[in-house]
Order: sequence, then C-alpha cells, then structure tokens
Amino acid sequence: MNQTCDLTLELKRLIIDTLELEDITPSDIDPEAPLFGDGLGLDSIDALELGLALQKHYGIKLDAEAEETRHHFSNLNALHSLVEARRVN
Amino acid sequence: MPFSLHLEDWRGWLANEGMLTCDPRYRISSPPGNALPAMLRRRLDDTGRATCEILSALDPEADLPLVHASRHGDTTHTLGMLEALEGGEPISPTRFSMSVHNAVLGVHSIACTQRRPMQALGACGDEFDAILHEAQGYLMEGHRAVVAIFSEGPLPSAYHGHTEHPGTACAVGMRLTLDPGRRLKASGPVRSGHPSPLEVMGWLSGDTPFLAGRHRWQLGAE
Repeated sequence: MNQTCDLTLELKRLIIDTLELEDITPSDIDPEAPLFGDGLGLDSIDALELGLALQKHYGIKLDAEAEETRHHFSNLNALHSLVEARRVN
Repeated sequence: MPFSLHLEDWRGWLANEGMLTCDPRYRISSPPGNALPAMLRRRLDDTGRATCEILSALDPEADLPLVHASRHGDTTHTLGMLEALEGGEPISPTRFSMSVHNAVLGVHSIACTQRRPMQALGACGDEFDAILHEAQGYLMEGHRAVVAIFSEGPLPSAYHGHTEHPGTACAVGMRLTLDPGRRLKASGPVRSGHPSPLEVMGWLSGDTPFLAGRHRWQLGAE
C-alpha cells in the first residue's frame, strides 16, 4: 500500500473515531462524496470537531469562517490534499 | 393544589437488566435498540438512548408534552470536559453542545419531529415530585396526557461517596392523565426521601407499598 492509500485510510479512521460514526466502516466513505449534508451526512458540530482533530493530529489550524475551509472539508480527497500540504507533524 | 394524577402506562430501563424485577411488558431492553437514526443516536450514551426509547413507547404519535428530569445529568462527559480544561486541552465541541440538561429531549425532538412543549429539570433529589407537579400543570392547561421521565446515567468513580446515586444507570417514564389509569395518591408532605428512577420502578412494579419523596405516594388499584 502506498502512502496516499495509507493517509486516506488514516483520515477515514480519524473521521469515524472522532465523530463516533458507530455504524460506518472506512469502505463506506466515498472519497468523492460530500462529507457534510448529503453524502456522509455530517453536521456543523462535526465540522468543529473535525477541525479540532486536524489540529491535534496534524498541527493544522483552520479558520472556521474562511471560505477555503469549506473547500477543504468538501470531501475526503480535499481533506487528503489539505493534510498532505499543511501537516506539521 | 391537590394532585389528581393518574398513571396510564409506564416503561423502565436498567443498564444491568439482572437487577430489574418488573413485568417484561413495561421493560425497555438493555442495551437499548437502534430506533433513533444513527447520526443522532451516536451523540447519546445508553441512558440517553433508553430515555428516547421510553419516550417513543409512551408517546408514539409524538403529540404529548414531555418532562425529563435527571438529578445529575451526563456526569461522565461533564467530568471529562472539566478534566480537559484542567489539563489545558481544548474541549470537544460535540460534548460541549450535548452538555445542556435538555440535550436528550433535543435529540428526541429532532428524531421524531416532536414540536410539543418540553422541559428538562434537575431538582436536587426531588425530581420525582417535580415532574409530577410539572405534568399536573400541563394537564390543567388542557393537554390530554403528559409523558414524565426520570433518568440517571452512570456516576464516575470520582463522585462515589459524595452524592446520592442509584448505583446503576436507569430510567423510568410515565404517561400521566387527569382521569383514565391508576390513581396516584399523595399524602404528606413527608420530605423523607430522594427517590431514584430505580426506586420509582420498584414502586410502580408493586415491590414497595409507597414511595417517599416530598409527598408519600401510593398507587391506586388497576
């Protein structure tokens, strides 16, 4: 398994564990599907929780009000690109 | 104001089912089922899930006022947040959002699109009398019935010996009316006890002849 797959799986597990998605497995998360609203169905509290998890695990600080944050959270692939580009640990 | 409440139906839940002696038709199984949508259910612990199951069982049409009491609330997660703050760690937004006393009723109302009056209360051990007073108020206003529910979650070990607690997570709900059902008779006031949901269940099951709270409560014949 290459590093991209490793990070994809790691992010899926981070989402499942952090957001306590007890009925969801990593294979249920489509990297192209929206994380919020339709698709996975996460809500605004999940967005805050996910932002905190990114800070704890990867040292990435996001501005909750910024438009680019919406883009980073649009789907798993976007989140993957963010972590690859901005992780400090 | 004299009480004129009647018990139409009830349900009880105990985390440790082995301790429960009540008739199976009044029992909510443990662990509670998956009646709530998964994305809402994940935010509640077993006590919250059981509370929602009891509410759905007693108010299947989601059209009655609801009163929910808990003396201590979700102490496990509250303590976790306090420990995070003490350690200089950020607290979980999810836990913070769920730390209000009416969080369980809120989740239930979203899941069932329940738009009737709801209230959550804590009463320092007088929860049983308090929910009956509130229920009576709604009934006097003209509602046909009210569901009054009383729950306690597990108590973290740090609090053991510092407060009264039934020793297990438990919940009991009653559908109350002004007429049909078994009469709830209040005498006193006695102010002799702080009944927990576990004791209320024992009393409703007929294990004890009366329940001592701010009043001495007796249940009329079926």
